[in-house]
Amino acid sequence: MRPLRSIALTIAAGTAALALAGCSGTSQASTVSNQVIPELAADQQVNITFESYNLAQAGVWTDTVKGLVADFEKAHPNIHVTAQAPQGGGAVGSNTVSSVQTQLLAGHAPDVAQLTFDSLDFAATQLGAQPISDLVGQKAVDDALGGAHPFHPNAKHLADWNGKTYGIPYVFSTPVLFYNATKLADAGVTNPDLSTWDKVEAAAKAVSAKTGKPSLDISCASIGGNWCMQGVFKSNGAQVLSDDRKTIGFGSDAAVDTVTKLAQMTKDGVLRNADSSAQSEGLMKGDTAFILTTSALQGSFMQAAAKGGWALKAAGMPSFGSKPAVPTNSGSALFVLSQDPAKQRAGWELIKFMTSDHAYEQISTKIGYLPLRTSLTQPGGSLYDWAQKNPLLAPNLAQLDRLQPWVSYPGNSYVQIDDILGKAVENVVYYGKDAKTTMADAQKRAQELIP
Amino acid sequence: MAFITIAPPAQPGSLDGALAGPAGVSEPTTAPAAGRRHLRFAALRLAPSHALLIALALVSIFPIYWMFVTAFRPSSDALSTNPFPGPLSLENFQYVLKTIPIAGMLANTFGMALTLALSQLLVAILASYGFARWDFLGKKALYLLFVGSWLVPFQVTMIPNYLLVSQLGLLNTVTGVVLPQLCSAFAVMMLRQHLEAFPKDLLDASQMDGRSSWRTLWEVVVPNLRPALAALGIMLFISAWNEYLWPSLIMQKSDALIQVGIRGFLGAEGNNWGAIMAASSLACLPIFLIYIFLQRYVVDAFVRSGLK
Repeated sequence: MRPLRSIALTIAAGTAALALAGCSGTSQASTVSNQVIPELAADQQVNITFESYNLAQAGVWTDTVKGLVADFEKAHPNIHVTAQAPQGGGAVGSNTVSSVQTQLLAGHAPDVAQLTFDSLDFAATQLGAQPISDLVGQKAVDDALGGAHPFHPNAKHLADWNGKTYGIPYVFSTPVLFYNATKLADAGVTNPDLSTWDKVEAAAKAVSAKTGKPSLDISCASIGGNWCMQGVFKSNGAQVLSDDRKTIGFGSDAAVDTVTKLAQMTKDGVLRNADSSAQSEGLMKGDTAFILTTSALQGSFMQAAAKGGWALKAAGMPSFGSKPAVPTNSGSALFVLSQDPAKQRAGWELIKFMTSDHAYEQISTKIGYLPLRTSLTQPGGSLYDWAQKNPLLAPNLAQLDRLQPWVSYPGNSYVQIDDILGKAVENVVYYGKDAKTTMADAQKRAQELIP
Repeated sequence: MAFITIAPPAQPGSLDGALAGPAGVSEPTTAPAAGRRHLRFAALRLAPSHALLIALALVSIFPIYWMFVTAFRPSSDALSTNPFPGPLSLENFQYVLKTIPIAGMLANTFGMALTLALSQLLVAILASYGFARWDFLGKKALYLLFVGSWLVPFQVTMIPNYLLVSQLGLLNTVTGVVLPQLCSAFAVMMLRQHLEAFPKDLLDASQMDGRSSWRTLWEVVVPNLRPALAALGIMLFISAWNEYLWPSLIMQKSDALIQVGIRGFLGAEGNNWGAIMAASSLACLPIFLIYIFLQRYVVDAFVRSGLK
């Protein structure tokens, strides 16, 4: 059996080596000097790669992004853009960082990448994202975010880290409470006030009493919904991470109180236990009447409502009593990853174009994402008519004024920390685990992962 | 050129086998009444097993049925739980054809799967012939290395292979998907078992006829292994066709391979189930055709490999 033993040892050694290599990460701390990168000469040909997770989704997502890239190449004939989707088999938007990491390992990371906000810390400190405000100067960044239709003030700095702009916010959504107004009317609830959780619970109880099954879904409380669960926590005065970014706050009294409130709704037969995909399909099929979820699903809900002959309405994120609701954002920003000055400049030109008025006109009308240049939806703006035809957009736009950023955890284990929180919340809210001990245990485990 | 041939193995599920008694012993034909009684008794005794198998078959077939039912519903009915489609609609197929280049994807995927199956078969024939025909120093260790490589999970070798493909400049190419998988340790193991059982007398006879080892392989061994090779080839093709993780790592162009293309209908803003099912239905067609036309070999392949 000696050969077997030696093979087993070889395999074990190889696996260990790979594991160690994986653990070592791909630290690519930024190496940019404070010198502004030069402008491109008119005849200077530059090829860049642009990685966008929207390109992984067939239909309007791919068509719109490819159309914008084609428009950009027309406007900048000396810059050629290879637009690509992230690699790997994960769900759209879930593997943006791992895709860049793998390509970085092979020595050809994309020059510009669309990365989700939860990875901001990691992108700035480990992934090699370049501080754009250093590359092109703060004034150029401010000019790009300003203009005739400036970015919403709360959207401007979502991808700033340590006082520098690492990414330009691109597309995002906020948590919106969609509801089936027809179902509510059938249960005797008309023109409901859904501004607080107590009022939502009362309305949902009325519908559940009528239908005999839970009528409310909260995607924030399911795995993958932590971006908006952070907002639910903040609305009740809890923080997932302290302001100095050193202490995890999952086990605080306010956090425990938050999940206890949601768990009570499950016990009362109001809140349904379902995965995020089943949740959105539940509203579309008429199984449920309420869902707090990403505003990006509005288009799908509108189609289902039109088909099913029921009235879809939307409300902002509910608050806890008199405390103000604090919505957080999902979504992504555009980052420059190239270390070559010419590609960095070309990348910056692309980013400016992809976040311009023209880009948001295309993105909002074709895909349905929120225009971050919100004044485009006001009278005189090119998206005014579109916004008027989409009244469901109003609560989404309104809560931008109270928006707080999706917190990205520090260190290399930010995904694991997020996972720990997601599982703890699910265990308490849906599976009846004790809130205090579960959240305290999650806090302890997550704290150990904070550097 | 005359081939030496061996009678093929009994076909699984043949009538002879089915009519044999429980222990495989035929009843005497002189007692027809007793024989009929025995058959009735056997049928009754087997009824629960058959009922269970029918139930399992229905459970296995249901997802496939549901895929087609959903594919043929209007897109607005994709979430319907009605087990019968109606009215039938080609809307999802039209959307898929309009949105992704599915014909090109199917052609690319077919080319990739065929290349992989043929190359793995070729390597397996040569390697297993070597293992079965000759005794040489380190033979057992070498074979154990093959077995060992089969035991190493794909996820362990995925990144090193990716780096290699990247250094060769083959990212985003079907060649990049195929290259690291040209050899299948599983296929070598399977064929080695067959070749170990190959009559040595035939090999000796071939040698006495003056054939070289190379000619013996292609003129004696391979023709007699055709059923096994066909079965193994089909299994390798199906396995390659169903590959997803590795192609999705190498192919960032989502319009190259069908398994990667289907993913395009899954998204953060909702999954387009109608389109997913329509694209999946089309992706299944080549495999269904293989099952329909080469059913005997497919069943044989899975029986030989011990896989279900």
